[in-house]
Amino acid sequence: MGIISIENTDRLFWLGRYSERVYTTIRLFSVSYDDMIDTYANSYQDFCSRLDIPNIYQGKEHFIQCYCFDGTNPDSIYSNLMRAYDNGITLREEIGSESLSYIQLAVYEMNKAKLSSAPLIELQRVLDNLLAFWGIADDSIDSENVRNIIKVGKRIERLDLYARLQMSPEELHREVARLSGRLPRTNLKYSAVQLDSLRTLVQQPEINYRDIVFSAEHLIV
Amino acid sequence: MEEMDLYRHTDTINELLARYGVKFGIYKNNEFREQLFPFDAIPRIITASEFEYLEKGLKQRVMALNAFIKDIYGDKLILRDKVVPEEFIFASSGYLAQCEGILPPKGVYTHISGIDLVQGKDRQWYILEDNLRVPSGASYPMIARNLCRRSSPLTFQQNHIEDNRNYAELLRRTMDHVNTGGHTVILTPGRYNAAYFEHSYLAEMTGAHLVTGSQLVVKNDHLYFIDYSGKLEPVGAVYRRISDEYLDPMTFNRESVIGIPHIYDIYRKGNVALLNAPGNGVADDKGIYYFVPKMIRYYLDEDPILQNAPTYLPYYKEDMSYVLEHFDHLVLKDVAEAGGYGVVFGSKMTAEEKEHFLCLLKKEPRRFIAQEVIDFLDLDIMDDDKMVPRKADLRAFVLLGDGPMVWKSGLTRFSRNPDSFIVNSSQGGGFKDTWVLSQ
Repeated sequence: MGIISIENTDRLFWLGRYSERVYTTIRLFSVSYDDMIDTYANSYQDFCSRLDIPNIYQGKEHFIQCYCFDGTNPDSIYSNLMRAYDNGITLREEIGSESLSYIQLAVYEMNKAKLSSAPLIELQRVLDNLLAFWGIADDSIDSENVRNIIKVGKRIERLDLYARLQMSPEELHREVARLSGRLPRTNLKYSAVQLDSLRTLVQQPEINYRDIVFSAEHLIV
Repeated sequence: MEEMDLYRHTDTINELLARYGVKFGIYKNNEFREQLFPFDAIPRIITASEFEYLEKGLKQRVMALNAFIKDIYGDKLILRDKVVPEEFIFASSGYLAQCEGILPPKGVYTHISGIDLVQGKDRQWYILEDNLRVPSGASYPMIARNLCRRSSPLTFQQNHIEDNRNYAELLRRTMDHVNTGGHTVILTPGRYNAAYFEHSYLAEMTGAHLVTGSQLVVKNDHLYFIDYSGKLEPVGAVYRRISDEYLDPMTFNRESVIGIPHIYDIYRKGNVALLNAPGNGVADDKGIYYFVPKMIRYYLDEDPILQNAPTYLPYYKEDMSYVLEHFDHLVLKDVAEAGGYGVVFGSKMTAEEKEHFLCLLKKEPRRFIAQEVIDFLDLDIMDDDKMVPRKADLRAFVLLGDGPMVWKSGLTRFSRNPDSFIVNSSQGGGFKDTWVLSQ
């Protein structure tokens, strides 16, 4: 492992988390939005409740604009993307200009979507760039440690979101298995107790989603 | 010279520069904003023989400036011999008493120099200023060249253009030359610095670690990088991109939170190299610029190869008389300002402004220099689909390792405003690639 500072380790981890948060929440939002078109106009209320974010929205239209694009809303997709960018931009020498460029492109696409008359369809380009970022990060970052820290951040975020959304036991099991394989291959300090707990929790006949969220949030020490 | 179709790709190259985050930061109304640096694909072209001349002159100048700094913080022979008046040294904000008696590793002060030149319509090159503290700008043509080659391979196949993408290699050699043992780091004030893109790009390209002050610590008279596990890794060279005053709160500005306490103490002991050396500001003061040709004769016993723009120091009575007599034809520069600020043209002042300025000039003659307005050679740029002429300068980079090396390229900046001579990026200027022909 090459030398790496505490700050950069932390930023890599959060780059992984925020990029995943943007990716997964756009996908979930698209499903919720589809419901809002002609089935259940207030489905955004369920969306907020499941993700455990405050429902500050005054209606469907306000939710669509504010949750997607309002930079002053800390829970918005836009704010989370900017956090991914803020972490990424300080990591050029760790992840390389080529990888970083896809985070930058995602930001440009998000800004374009904000101004578009059909913003939701435009968010697909944000997803495309995040997928490209993960692909090139895997392909072009030499340091295995650096690659793995990003992936651990991504896996923890996904596990956290999937548990909050009460996804199927199979999906949770798969995420914990991926995380367990990846985590020991980084320089991250983690709690072996919480990792064991996660492995056990996803094998229970009755899934305790809150405990999974708790263990995921307390895994990195 | 075939320029082929490169200029047709200006928009695409600018899009790609945006994609790679090629930006600079700017503070306006107390708010930080990132701005793209507009690129024009029509290059500045310097022939092989012209570059040979520039290279000789630039090496000569930087060697003299390095000798000057060593002398000023050492024996002060140039003051003893009254070649440069003492007032211009000790009253300069760039002079640091803390640097007295310190010899940096291998005697190098000016590791990376950015020398600004303009070419007059008579094709004569003039030096406009020397930047010896933390000159920036090399990263922009480096990355732009990559994109230009991709956009128009035929252009580079059919012309004989020196490859400028070796800047990182030259910089690495320069840093390694003075490294006292350990890692090489690039010290940045952080991502809200105007040149943060450059800091991070040079770190990526040289393989140096990009660090902030909080990631370094002085212990047992040596400098260390603190890794994730708390292990201390020795550091032997710091390419610092922060100003002298913020480098060490124990020696310079006590309020600095971006520096490294006691780094200056171990630098003094020769246990770490700082690039560029602290205290270099004494030699790139606009007032000192006037004396550089004299320094070349004094230290090297040679005639200066490159000329200064004709300059007057109102500090000298005869120069003051000339300035007052020819005020409307001169450009006046405040020696304490940089970045295109503090520059006024006599011809553009109102009567009231002129009166006010003349009072100030007479009161503080040391604060200003006056220069003849050089009729710059215009360079063409693409403005929408039209080719239009604009004022441009050239920042040449000279690196001093085991010998001086002039990068076979440079940063050509241009004014986008047809009526302006100010080319600085912070004032809306753009940049071009600089081709040095190999034959």
